[in-house]
Amino acid sequence: MIFLSNGVIVFLFIETLLLILLSVAFINVLTILKSWNFEATTTKQYILEKRSYLVLLIIFFTLSFKIILLPYFAYMIDTLSDVVPGAMCAAGVINANKYGVWLLWLKIFILFLVGIWIILNHYDLKAENYPFFKKKLWLFILIFALIAGESVLDILYLKNISTKSIVSCCSSIYGASGISNPIPFDLHVNELLALFYLLFTLSITTAIYRFKFFSLLSNIAFLYIAYYAVVYFFGTYIYELPTHLCPFCMLQSGYYYIGYFIWGTLFLGTFFGMSVSIIEYLTDIDLSRLFRYSIIFNTTFILICSTYVLLYYIKNGVFL
Amino acid sequence: MPNKLFLNFLFLLLYKHRVKHLSIFFISTLIVFILSSVLLLSHALQEDIKQTLKSQPEFTIQKMRGGRSVDVPLFWADGFESIEGVVDVEPRVYGEYFYEPNEHHFTIVGIDFFELAHSKKLKKIISDIDIKKFLSKPNMIIGQGVKAFLDRYHFFDYYVFRPPDRSKIEVNIYDYFPKESSLVSNDMIIMDIDLARQILGVDEDEATDFALYSPNELEADNIKIKLILQHFDTRIIQKSDIQKAYDKLFNYKGGIFLILYMIVLLTFMMILYQRYSMIQSSDKKEIGILRALGWSIKDVIVLKIGESFIVAIFAFLLGFILAFIYVFFLNAPLLGAIFYGYSNLPTDIVLNKSVDFSAVFLLFLFYILPFMAAVLIPAWRSSVIDPLEAMR
Repeated sequence: MIFLSNGVIVFLFIETLLLILLSVAFINVLTILKSWNFEATTTKQYILEKRSYLVLLIIFFTLSFKIILLPYFAYMIDTLSDVVPGAMCAAGVINANKYGVWLLWLKIFILFLVGIWIILNHYDLKAENYPFFKKKLWLFILIFALIAGESVLDILYLKNISTKSIVSCCSSIYGASGISNPIPFDLHVNELLALFYLLFTLSITTAIYRFKFFSLLSNIAFLYIAYYAVVYFFGTYIYELPTHLCPFCMLQSGYYYIGYFIWGTLFLGTFFGMSVSIIEYLTDIDLSRLFRYSIIFNTTFILICSTYVLLYYIKNGVFL
Repeated sequence: MPNKLFLNFLFLLLYKHRVKHLSIFFISTLIVFILSSVLLLSHALQEDIKQTLKSQPEFTIQKMRGGRSVDVPLFWADGFESIEGVVDVEPRVYGEYFYEPNEHHFTIVGIDFFELAHSKKLKKIISDIDIKKFLSKPNMIIGQGVKAFLDRYHFFDYYVFRPPDRSKIEVNIYDYFPKESSLVSNDMIIMDIDLARQILGVDEDEATDFALYSPNELEADNIKIKLILQHFDTRIIQKSDIQKAYDKLFNYKGGIFLILYMIVLLTFMMILYQRYSMIQSSDKKEIGILRALGWSIKDVIVLKIGESFIVAIFAFLLGFILAFIYVFFLNAPLLGAIFYGYSNLPTDIVLNKSVDFSAVFLLFLFYILPFMAAVLIPAWRSSVIDPLEAMR
């Protein structure tokens, strides 16, 4: 019974607690949004303003924990691979039923929105008259709806992991089946790599020259291509095995948990690259300063990946 | 980020109201202590078993008849040796010897001392003894649990076994197992394989089971298929199956405990909520003064949350350190019994110090989050008090 695994119990308990807290905030948000008027000097507005402190406190608290919970979720899934037959890493467990992949994507998307909310909140509190107050509450309602859906998916997913039936191992999920090319646009690995470095250059250039809209586009493309580049090229150097294609195995202790850094820096880099133009679209504030974080994290990501290839070449004198 | 002055003020306040926080501090320390003792203990035992399993054979093969395991014929070994990837086939003789009056049993393990190629742990123990001397007359090496048991019945130097053929065999006690290996060797007796055959009543051309060694883990699945094809009346136990069974068992025990512990945590949250919702008039005045001095509601909230956070963190650290001492230096008295779950011979175990970082993180999440979640609303409630009303 997968529910008796220590990690799963703690995870579900925490998710439930956070959901309860968020529901409290959600009810308060509804009353605030209904009759919020910053210009008014009525008692009601005064009460609402007091209440908004509670709402912001709860939201900030829970969303910060949500950020910690995503890596923890990955770790938990990884440890479950000991219990689920056939699974060698998280890939097998994630694909144990149809909900897993959706859940993972939903969690990442929620994290993206949470990041935007936290930036928005930061700039809102800095300004004197809470200019984005309603916007961030609406954004919160969206996040809350998604998190509620996520909780349902959490239960559905974990409930349907069987400890009896055998799941696939990562090499059979991502491995070359020989029939069709798994890389998008039917690219060869060399072309994929060229595209990868080109898009990186593009995203850095747009960040330096602060072309906000192009930065959004180039970072989306970079995220997409970087995922494939890591799985189908850089991963093989991390595992030092040309046939080992997996985005999850690198999260394991055998590879010094490097996966968390790789995926973490990629997420942060592209997040800052994309969020600037999205936030500007929402609020009209100029956040070009955030581009430097995009540059820092994307470059770190590229450096980590390339170092593996370079070290392999120095050690062995050949490429894989 | 709160600055130095703010933190200074925070600690001053905490010191001033130390009596108020003391009860919460003690309860939280206790909660963390019990929770982390269980997690540390379960992890340490799991590691211990993992270490032990490392030196175990890749496969154990038993012969089955009608769902019960019976002795295997020795000539099977030739068939197993012909499989590629199997480096050694070892017939083993072992079994439980019952001490009737007390419903206890020992595990007797017979060893062929001249073919001891693989079990490193056994090798290490046996390397100290003089094999010639050991084999010159009936001798045995016994575990700590067996020793304590035999001592109680005044068998200090020897023990008299009664094999199934109604004879008497007197066996001398040659040496003891070290305490560190107690988890496996507690009720174990090691002796020569032929002696063990006599005592357990195993025929000369049979053995209890076969141990198959194969150095390459990747080949295990292929070997398993070939083993299945050779005989239809076998049960094949793979090392990884044992590992998984143990993992499941420990997950299960820890899981039941955690589920019960959730109730404790929820109650604790309720207590915290109540405790911090009680706002005394002196507290009110204090907040009123701060607000009058120009603190915003946000600052007061940070102060209040900071107070509880520091209490929580210190309680966590203290509880965890106490648990560490309790488990690894005092060997977890009382609590250990839940996990050893052994009613046969009392186990006395020395645990290896190993802390799982993820378990610490798990613990931290499981405790800090409910704690902070419970104080959020009270902290807000006391912060938004009207300063004018509070000062009155």
